[in-house]
Amino acid sequence: MSWVTVIWPMVASACLTLAAMHVLVWANRRTAWASLLFALTAVATAAVAGCELWLMRTETAQEFGAVLRWAHVPYWVLVVSLVGFVRLYLRAGRPWLAYTIVGVRTLSLVLNFVFTPNLNYREITALRHVPFLGDSVSVAEGIPNPWMLVGQASFLLLVVFVADVMRTVSRRGDGRQARVLTGAIVFFVLAATGQIVLVMWQVVHTPLTPSLFFLGIVAAMAFEMSADVDRAAQLSDDLRESEERMTLATEAGGVGVWMWSVAQDHVWGSARWLHLFGFAPDAALSLEKVIQRIHSDDRGTVEREVRRALETRGDYAGEYRVVWPDGTEHWLAARGRTYSDAHGKPVRMVGAAIDITARSQAEASATLQRNELAHLSRVATVSELSGSLAHELNQPLAIILTNAQAAQRLLAQQPPDLAEARDILADIVSEDQRAGEVIGRLRALLKSGDTQVQPLSVNDIIEDVLRIARADLIGRGIAVHLSLAEHVPHVLGDRIQLQQVLLNLILNAGDAMSANPPARRHLTVATAHRDGAVRMSVSDTGCGLPPDAQRMFEPFYSTKAHGLGLGLSICRSIVTAHKGRLWAEARGAADVPDAAATASGGATLHIELPVADEGAP
Amino acid sequence: MNATRGTVFLLDDEPGMVKALTRLLKAEGFTVRGFTSAKTFLESYRAESPSCLVLDVEMPELNGLELQERLTHAGILLPIVFLTGHGDIPMSVQAVKAGAADFLTKPVNDANLLRAVRAALQRAADERDIVAEVAMLRQRYASLTPREREVMAHVVSGQLNKQIAGDLGTGEQTIKVHRARVMEKMAVDSLADLVRAGERLGLGKRPPATG
Repeated sequence: MSWVTVIWPMVASACLTLAAMHVLVWANRRTAWASLLFALTAVATAAVAGCELWLMRTETAQEFGAVLRWAHVPYWVLVVSLVGFVRLYLRAGRPWLAYTIVGVRTLSLVLNFVFTPNLNYREITALRHVPFLGDSVSVAEGIPNPWMLVGQASFLLLVVFVADVMRTVSRRGDGRQARVLTGAIVFFVLAATGQIVLVMWQVVHTPLTPSLFFLGIVAAMAFEMSADVDRAAQLSDDLRESEERMTLATEAGGVGVWMWSVAQDHVWGSARWLHLFGFAPDAALSLEKVIQRIHSDDRGTVEREVRRALETRGDYAGEYRVVWPDGTEHWLAARGRTYSDAHGKPVRMVGAAIDITARSQAEASATLQRNELAHLSRVATVSELSGSLAHELNQPLAIILTNAQAAQRLLAQQPPDLAEARDILADIVSEDQRAGEVIGRLRALLKSGDTQVQPLSVNDIIEDVLRIARADLIGRGIAVHLSLAEHVPHVLGDRIQLQQVLLNLILNAGDAMSANPPARRHLTVATAHRDGAVRMSVSDTGCGLPPDAQRMFEPFYSTKAHGLGLGLSICRSIVTAHKGRLWAEARGAADVPDAAATASGGATLHIELPVADEGAP
Repeated sequence: MNATRGTVFLLDDEPGMVKALTRLLKAEGFTVRGFTSAKTFLESYRAESPSCLVLDVEMPELNGLELQERLTHAGILLPIVFLTGHGDIPMSVQAVKAGAADFLTKPVNDANLLRAVRAALQRAADERDIVAEVAMLRQRYASLTPREREVMAHVVSGQLNKQIAGDLGTGEQTIKVHRARVMEKMAVDSLADLVRAGERLGLGKRPPATG
């Protein structure tokens, strides 16, 4: 066995092995086009090596010419795949130069099949046997074809192209490896071109061996790409480390992390998250199973919010109760984000959850205390109003009695006036309903209970409260002016508590005007809407604000002989719980609606509440 | 109970109350005119043969007691029956002092209300008779000569003819003639009637001025 029969098959098999590896890589990851191009370069190099071995073993000039002609095909593949690899892998190089190289090489391939026997020879006159690496190999003699300069020009253009890329990557600071790769390509292509030129123009009489130089290029490319594998391994280590740090942090903060793959409907959760939901550590979960753990009262809201986040590709946030299999309830706060694929289709939701049971209990007990205080304050207010409320109730009763007595007389007549009696009965029914409503309003105000948040019209609240306070205001000789804005958006709140706040402000306004002569007792209730907030304002023409007006919202502050001084402080805490503001303002003479009441003085109290979301149920 | 008939004015800010009272009073044969605000009542009020006012005390703007004061100032003699949701004693005293015919608390018993309305209308009728009589007497009085008026003033203050003649510096016979004329013109038959007429006209309270 000679060296020739050892080296060339080894070159070919090494290239084919590398090619096979990278074809596999590309088959697994179809976006890894650089791997495919590398495999093509390696396969072409192996084919070139095979052709070279065949040329060395040819017996006739004719056979030599034919083999050399077909060797141009792998050369074409090699040049084109190498240009593509450099462009793709290093993301550099002038496109026009790349297209020129491909064009020139393709031209040389076409010319190769136009000329006989091939691009390189006009005619092969004889075969000579020369010693090479301890063996005797065939070398051709004949007339060189000047058109082969086209093929050699393509190699030189390739050198220029890669040298330009080398300049770009070193200026870009891509690091040593990119410079080694481009340097190796430039060097080995120059070396191969040099050998081809010398052999083909018959300056030297040796067999063609460019495959050895191309093996150098393939090796440099393989080395460069193996560095990628190394980097990936490093990244994976870093990732694992970062994940460990993340787990440590989330575990320490009690944060459970979850991810829902939409298409597979598979929910993955960290150990902490599984614990928060009361799942076993190895539970296989779907979204439905997770939702089933949520308290039935909160389930609808959570489902609606998740669906909304999916549809809008937006974020999700919610607080809800989870019921463990042992029946215990746990309050969780959760956040999530939707991730979409390149087509905008939601792929997964990722988020975190924490246990807020302790916080919710503290909030619930604060709410309970506020509700109880508010209730006590309402009872006090209603008892203050009891006289005028009795009158309010007396009125329909008086009308009912008078109507009934009129009916008795009408029915005693001959003939009885049945038509009128029927009308009377209808009026009695409606007055009885009115009395019922008075009692209903009273009972609602006196009721103690949970806050019930719902969308409310502030104008309705004002009308309800004025109905309750009407008799009292008339009794005190106060003229009421209404200035209600039209189409005021709803606010979210508890009807009774907001009525209570307004009733307090109106009664305070009445107290402030008790020293005024009756002609100067004007109460104005106004509503306004701007910048996402709704405002209710209660103005009087009374004694104005105390000098330390800010203190009037503090508990036990009172300017009145009677009263606990809790009213306004409770009002403010109610309004604050509604995410609103309550404040007082001294009133200028210009604000007074009536010319009869122009003297300065008086105060305005404003309640401002945020507008309820339009999408709210 | 005599069946006094007349116009009853109703004023209450509650339309339901006005309607109910109207039914009750109409069933008893009264003419009823109901109002829900003091303003419209004052605008459309015309003196009608004998009438009274059933008035709610608690009303926005002008309350019942204030309206009573206004009516008195305007010289409208209208007996008022007050109705109130929560009448207290000082309020009813004030109302009655200012001439209220009655003061009732709601809910009011129909018999009490009807009795009060009848009494008020009776009072209106009485007052009306007096007013008519005074108007007639004034007319007759206007037909007297100045001398006859002097004589009448002295007569109703209880002086004898001789005293009058002395006061006026004339003869007793002349006074007798004047006196007979006065009796005739004032259409009275007796001295007692003339004295009552003089009282109605506001004479005889003080010694007549000597002309």
